[in-house]
Amino acid sequence: MCLGIPGKVTEVYGSEGLQMGTVDFGGVRREVCLAYVADEVEAGDYVIVHVGFAISRVDEEEARRTFKLLEELSELDELQWMKEVAEQSLAGLDSPGGPSNEGTGGTPAGGQA
Amino acid sequence: MKYLSEYRDPVLARSLVDRILGAATRPRVIMEVCGGQTHTIVRQGLQELLKDAVDMIHGPGCPVCVTPLEQIDRALYLAARPEVIFTSFGDMLRVPGSDCDLLQIRARGGEVRVVYSPLDALEIARAHPDREVVFFAVGFETTAPANAMAVWQARELGVSNFSVLVSHVTVPPAIRAILDAPDNRVEAFLAAGHVCTVMGWKEYEPLAAQYAVPIVVTGFEPVDILEGIYMAVRQLEEGRAEVENQYARSVRRSGNEPAQELVSKVFELVDRSWRGIGEIPASGLGLREEFEALDAEKKFDLGSIRTSEPEECMAGEVLRGRIKPFECPAFGTVCTPEKPLGAPMVSSEGACAAYYNYARFQSEPAGETV
Amino acid sequence: MTKESRPLDRDPEGGIARVASAGLTCPVPAGEVDRVLLGHGSGGKLSAALLRDQFLPHFGNVVLAELGDAAVVPVPGDEIAVSTDSFVVSPLEFPGGNIGHLAVHGTVNDLAMMGAEPLYLSAGFILEEGLPFDVLDRVIEAMASAAADAGVIVVTGDTKVVERGKADGLFINTTGIGRLDPEFRPGPTRAREGDAVLVSGPIGRHGVAIMAAREDLRFEVEVRSDTACLAPLVLDLRGVCGSAIHSLRDPTRGGVASALNEIAASSGVCIRLEEGDLPIPGPVRAACEMLGLDPLYVANEGILVAIVAPEKAGAALEALRSHPAGEAAIRIGTVTGDRPGLVLLRTGLGASRVVDMLPGDQLPRIC
Repeated sequence: MCLGIPGKVTEVYGSEGLQMGTVDFGGVRREVCLAYVADEVEAGDYVIVHVGFAISRVDEEEARRTFKLLEELSELDELQWMKEVAEQSLAGLDSPGGPSNEGTGGTPAGGQA
Repeated sequence: MKYLSEYRDPVLARSLVDRILGAATRPRVIMEVCGGQTHTIVRQGLQELLKDAVDMIHGPGCPVCVTPLEQIDRALYLAARPEVIFTSFGDMLRVPGSDCDLLQIRARGGEVRVVYSPLDALEIARAHPDREVVFFAVGFETTAPANAMAVWQARELGVSNFSVLVSHVTVPPAIRAILDAPDNRVEAFLAAGHVCTVMGWKEYEPLAAQYAVPIVVTGFEPVDILEGIYMAVRQLEEGRAEVENQYARSVRRSGNEPAQELVSKVFELVDRSWRGIGEIPASGLGLREEFEALDAEKKFDLGSIRTSEPEECMAGEVLRGRIKPFECPAFGTVCTPEKPLGAPMVSSEGACAAYYNYARFQSEPAGETV
Repeated sequence: MTKESRPLDRDPEGGIARVASAGLTCPVPAGEVDRVLLGHGSGGKLSAALLRDQFLPHFGNVVLAELGDAAVVPVPGDEIAVSTDSFVVSPLEFPGGNIGHLAVHGTVNDLAMMGAEPLYLSAGFILEEGLPFDVLDRVIEAMASAAADAGVIVVTGDTKVVERGKADGLFINTTGIGRLDPEFRPGPTRAREGDAVLVSGPIGRHGVAIMAAREDLRFEVEVRSDTACLAPLVLDLRGVCGSAIHSLRDPTRGGVASALNEIAASSGVCIRLEEGDLPIPGPVRAACEMLGLDPLYVANEGILVAIVAPEKAGAALEALRSHPAGEAAIRIGTVTGDRPGLVLLRTGLGASRVVDMLPGDQLPRIC
């Protein structure tokens, strides 16, 4: 109920009357049906995918909101460390690949396959 | 992974935990409805971190767990038929029926295949015109648009050897049933973020108003859930009872309208029995009559199937949040993931399995800290 | 040879002449043979041809060439290590290798995990009728090259052929013999409180590569199986740390979680892992997210976990990292004395959860 994860649309095409696309989930690619987001999605956008269907387009502005909220809270409390973390996360959202760290440190340079 | 990893950031999560602990003036009882949220809460130990401020009660949010026993038995019957290729999402394979489960049917020679998407099941039907392909269409409203599309495409493309065995349930009636129970302790709900991505949150507004309960549409990662809990606690402290949206990066009030449209063309509201809970009127989706040819229940003679449920299984009490899994006498003794009595011990979203797998040691005699 | 009295049906696939309704098969092929036939298992000329043309060119060695009923080999010491394993993976070929690599690495690694130096292998094959020779060739070549890399020789073998449909292309069994050093005996019961838990490389690659190569789930991922020979890494660990290496395990099916659970149970200790230290490559993590799988349970074929006395943990990591197969070695946890038999994981949030044995295979989930 429901495993939906975000991925980036890398191409869009039609197939048998349905809008389909290739979505890249951080290095895993799958064909996804885009019929339910057809009017609002193009290559480069992020979508939430559940069982091979995009059910929404990720609203990037809203995604930043959580971090903005924490940034504000940290300003109220003058908690500098929180502000820095929030800023880093916002910067991470701006970069093409997202944050380079999976949570805490300690993992060696990944991507070995 | 973008839009995922950020919401697992431990520093942000801890700051939200602190906020919640600071905001609650007394322990608050909050229910998360969705199995995916249960999974995160138990797996990340969130309730341990929040234990003085929030009592998390796990709701019936696992469609695998609430699929009626009759449907499981029908699935087993179909899967055993030699002409059938039975396709299903992975988590259904170990759910116990009256007699056995799909994995055992496969071991006995039935062709059972796991698929990731219902469209993949349709592809299998097209690739094997000499076989009958049945797809086990299980899920909440999140999965209905995908299952609807498979049915719709089958008809559009004239695929005659494909059918679906439907077991869809909808969330708002379940929430209402929980709120109507006389011994209900739940003060606020975290609504399921992906169900609401499809359906929007309009249906929850009358519930919040009528029962005066805050409802926060929440995502699935630790930061999402903690933020949702924080918003719910704030509402409770401030005496508000509204529907708020934590998962705004995916959910809008009106939801996904094209998806809702196709779902209503293919499905209609029906009464459904929830395993362990009983019948909840107008809580399920069934195929419309015009799609009869694609309805496995009509296509095959499923006859009368006699079901039997082990008596000791307290799935119903767990699914309604009346007891925690470890309060069931069978938990961890007679009922384990290897030999489950009921569905919540099988599906990794089921509360019993989540507790067994992740938090078993915490439910041991008092005084244990880890 | 059976006398046919009715028209022959040419089998379009392999030149076998069949007498249709009588169900009899003439075993002598009518033309160029490019695939395994039932006749190849019957012990006659076809079998000899199979051995001569497919197997021996790759496995050529003095012992095997004798083609005796059994191999006679010199074995040192009072005790030897023996390990056997069967390989039934489907598909036979996948990114990063094929079943042949697994068949050699798997048994060689099992010997190495006991501290043994692998010496000899046997190889038994069950071939499915219709298996194309070019596939068989690639598998055997892989085995030969893996054996050469591992410094082992294949001294004896066997082939049988079964009817179409009775084996997924081919099944392989390998049994290995290794030499033991009495001073170096890592084992599952030897983990002790305070020990460091190390892993030699990134986890979850093999299982994800196999899943991606299978038809049903239909996703593409640039992950290759990590199948590799671990014997040289173990040799170095032995040299640098000796008996401070308490346990070694190669976490194949069931993943790192299962291997550590077995050690925790056998030694009666608790193993505590740090979630942030687990080396999970991005695409493995992404594939697991999509399918709802936990990387800790996904199969590996080229990494080991080592339980090492704490004062030697640093040296052990250095030794591992000096090999290509171990360059990403990292410490992932510690052995403690409380909660015996449990494996616990501390999450980024500071809470702990159990990492249990799975009842069966992980299944991709929707919820």
